Amino acid sequence: MPETLIETRNLIKRYGEKVAVNNVSFDVYSREVFGFLGPNGAGKTTTIKMIVGLLQPTSGAVKVAGYDVQTQSMRAKASCGYVPDTPNLYAKLTGRELLRFVSDLYNLDRDQVAHRIDELLRMFDLAAAADDTVDSYSHGMQQKTSLAAALMHDPKVLVLDEPTVGLDPKSARLIKDILRQLADRGAAVMLSTHILEIAERMCDRIGIINKGQLIAVGTMEELRTLDKTGQTSLEDIFLGLTGGAEETEIAEILK
Amino acid sequence: MNTTTNFSSLHGPDARVFPAVRKLLLLRVRITYNSLRHARFRRKIGTVIIWLMLLGFAIFILSMSRMLLGLMRSPEFAQYVGVDLKAFLATIPALTLSGLFVGTLLTSFGVLLQALYLSGDMDFLLATPVPIRAVFIAKLLQAVLPNFALISLFGLPILFGLGISSGYNIIYYPLVILAMIILALTAAGLSSLLVMLVVRALPPRRAAEILGFFGAIFGFVCSQAGNFANSFGRDMNISGGQATGILLRSNTLWLPLNWAGQGLVALGEGRWLTGTLLVGATFGLASIAFWFALVTAERWYYSGWAGMQVVARKKTTPPPRPFNANGTSLGSGLARLLPKPVLAIVQKDFLTLRRDLRNLSQLVSPVILGVMYTLLMFRTGGEPPAGRGEAPDWFMETFRVVLAYGSVGMSLFVGWMLLSRLAGMGFSQEGKNYWMLKVSPVRVGHLLASKFLVAYLPTLGLGLTFLTVISIVQGLSILEFVYSLIAIIMCLAGMAGILLSFGVAGANFTWDDPRKMNGGVMGCFGQILTMLYLPISFGLFIAPLGVAQFFNYPIIYGYLFGLIIGSSVAAGFAFVPLWLVRKRVERLGEG
Repeated sequence: MPETLIETRNLIKRYGEKVAVNNVSFDVYSREVFGFLGPNGAGKTTTIKMIVGLLQPTSGAVKVAGYDVQTQSMRAKASCGYVPDTPNLYAKLTGRELLRFVSDLYNLDRDQVAHRIDELLRMFDLAAAADDTVDSYSHGMQQKTSLAAALMHDPKVLVLDEPTVGLDPKSARLIKDILRQLADRGAAVMLSTHILEIAERMCDRIGIINKGQLIAVGTMEELRTLDKTGQTSLEDIFLGLTGGAEETEIAEILK
Repeated sequence: MNTTTNFSSLHGPDARVFPAVRKLLLLRVRITYNSLRHARFRRKIGTVIIWLMLLGFAIFILSMSRMLLGLMRSPEFAQYVGVDLKAFLATIPALTLSGLFVGTLLTSFGVLLQALYLSGDMDFLLATPVPIRAVFIAKLLQAVLPNFALISLFGLPILFGLGISSGYNIIYYPLVILAMIILALTAAGLSSLLVMLVVRALPPRRAAEILGFFGAIFGFVCSQAGNFANSFGRDMNISGGQATGILLRSNTLWLPLNWAGQGLVALGEGRWLTGTLLVGATFGLASIAFWFALVTAERWYYSGWAGMQVVARKKTTPPPRPFNANGTSLGSGLARLLPKPVLAIVQKDFLTLRRDLRNLSQLVSPVILGVMYTLLMFRTGGEPPAGRGEAPDWFMETFRVVLAYGSVGMSLFVGWMLLSRLAGMGFSQEGKNYWMLKVSPVRVGHLLASKFLVAYLPTLGLGLTFLTVISIVQGLSILEFVYSLIAIIMCLAGMAGILLSFGVAGANFTWDDPRKMNGGVMGCFGQILTMLYLPISFGLFIAPLGVAQFFNYPIIYGYLFGLIIGSSVAAGFAFVPLWLVRKRVERLGEG
């Protein structure tokens, strides 16, 4: 039976009067890749930030690997890896120094760290630039460094916000393969993306959030049953559920 | 629907330079207006107050310069000082305009480097059908405007005051404004050429870092130069007459920068031919220089820009030492004592501070101040002035002790300067990278401890160096040295605690330039509080010594009492403020 590695219960986040995330509850299990979709400003990043401990929810609870992110934050964070949408990394550290720094933050065993760093640098094709400072890296290299940092401690839960933005096809493919492998090895992978093709191909289950509310969760088959028009592609289902059909019509006219 | 045609027609009229410049400037005005409109009420009020104060300041300078210049022109004053200052007064326009030109040339460099190569909008602007010349002119105007306004705030009232006090012709006033604008624009144009020359040799970001470093050092040295000039230059007595002579000789027609100033004075006095020739020559020359700068900059810009797009990654030389929290230069002893995350953050902070020259510029100022005061101390020998030799021995001895501890207090002040940056901005310096610490399993206590050490250790090092120098120069006894050492260790710890706590309260993670990471109101409060804390805390160490001497108790009681009271209070300030803000640390970076 798969283990529940991410649990969100009645998650609410308010900014003054504005409700960014409204009563969101879902689970992500071990061995699965969970896609988190939604239009711009729907509340994806806010939800993700609450899961990884970057934001405190107004109310509700989040558990990561069985640990409450608020009350057992150290254990929850030690089990989780996070890749943000913008890879803001320490610009004046080299790639190798950055990974070493992350390994120390996670209190990793010194003897294994050097080998792990070399392995990750090689895997992400960063070995040649390992001793260059991060500010000399391209966006794609920084994105890959960010993912390497998130994988340093071999997390049980990996949360990624738009991981393929700015990556070349080869790197994007590499990341997709790595995420699949991680899930196959028992981890829970949660990723938000705007590229519906990635979600359709990669994700075992998909959650769709719109205007702060989770409007659908399930496998592709389950989502298809939700759509009354019997649409088959994720794009049609997504647009049908999030009210984007009107925009599609406009786009058709503009063609 | 033919959208292509519509978009093209929108861009059609922008093909001409000046409408495009107008649009770009209006866009800037709109951005400024929007940012002010959406700002907090407090900031809006603050902006209005600042503008009113600036206006008041300009009026004050105008009235003061009118009065003073009028007085200097009077025959009574000339009779009193023995020098006719009329010729000197005539040099003021040339001096002011030359200052404006050189000032704009220097200060525009950094702004233009930022505006032309490091601002995010250049990609967008170069991709649109806006003439590159229009972009340049708009950027030049944007760059020159703030500095021009600042220099004009001082320069314009002085020049107008001179005109009023000298009874100059009405044409003098509009021409003063015109000359200032033209010279400022020319200086900015030449400055843009300098920027492009530099960018050919150095990546723009690196150039900005180096500029920031040397700019800060230069600014700091200039700010202190006045203080130290009195001490170092007592022998260089220059009389008022000699100074006037130097100024008069520098106002020569061989320097084109003087033409405008001399021309304006001539026009003001009704010497039309001389005035018209000189002012006309200045305007003509400035226009040619500005046009040359524009044309050349256009050509050079693309090569610099293209070079920036393909910046090759360079190996850091020498190759950085492996980052290892347990085997660092901090010492393996410290490594054994401290948890791994604490050491990792400490070492990361030291590396990033050292590698970014812009950070270094903020840190090096206290060191310069320390070195300057040390040199001063070496000159004076640290001995109290003997006076007429009437004072009793006990008074001179107390005076010597006070002077010695006063120097220790000076080392605390230098430490305060360093701590204001390191502790006050300890959290802010994380900037947009703070998420890396926040998602990691690092305890709040560890985070605070690491930031405390990052601020405290270098300050302690500086303080101890300073103390050692003082001890040698002033011949402190072993007891005085040890006591001062403990006082410094404890006082700095308390100060670090206070500043770090206020740094937490005012943490700002949204900056792009390290020089703009200041802690705002909270940072100011922290600095004010530590300025109060410093004399009190140090006084608690020193006062018991005086009390013991006054009541004729053995001095050792004074030392013991001072140690207990001073250390307890300092330790309290080191820990309590940090304990108070621990909950806030958990919420940092949540906007």
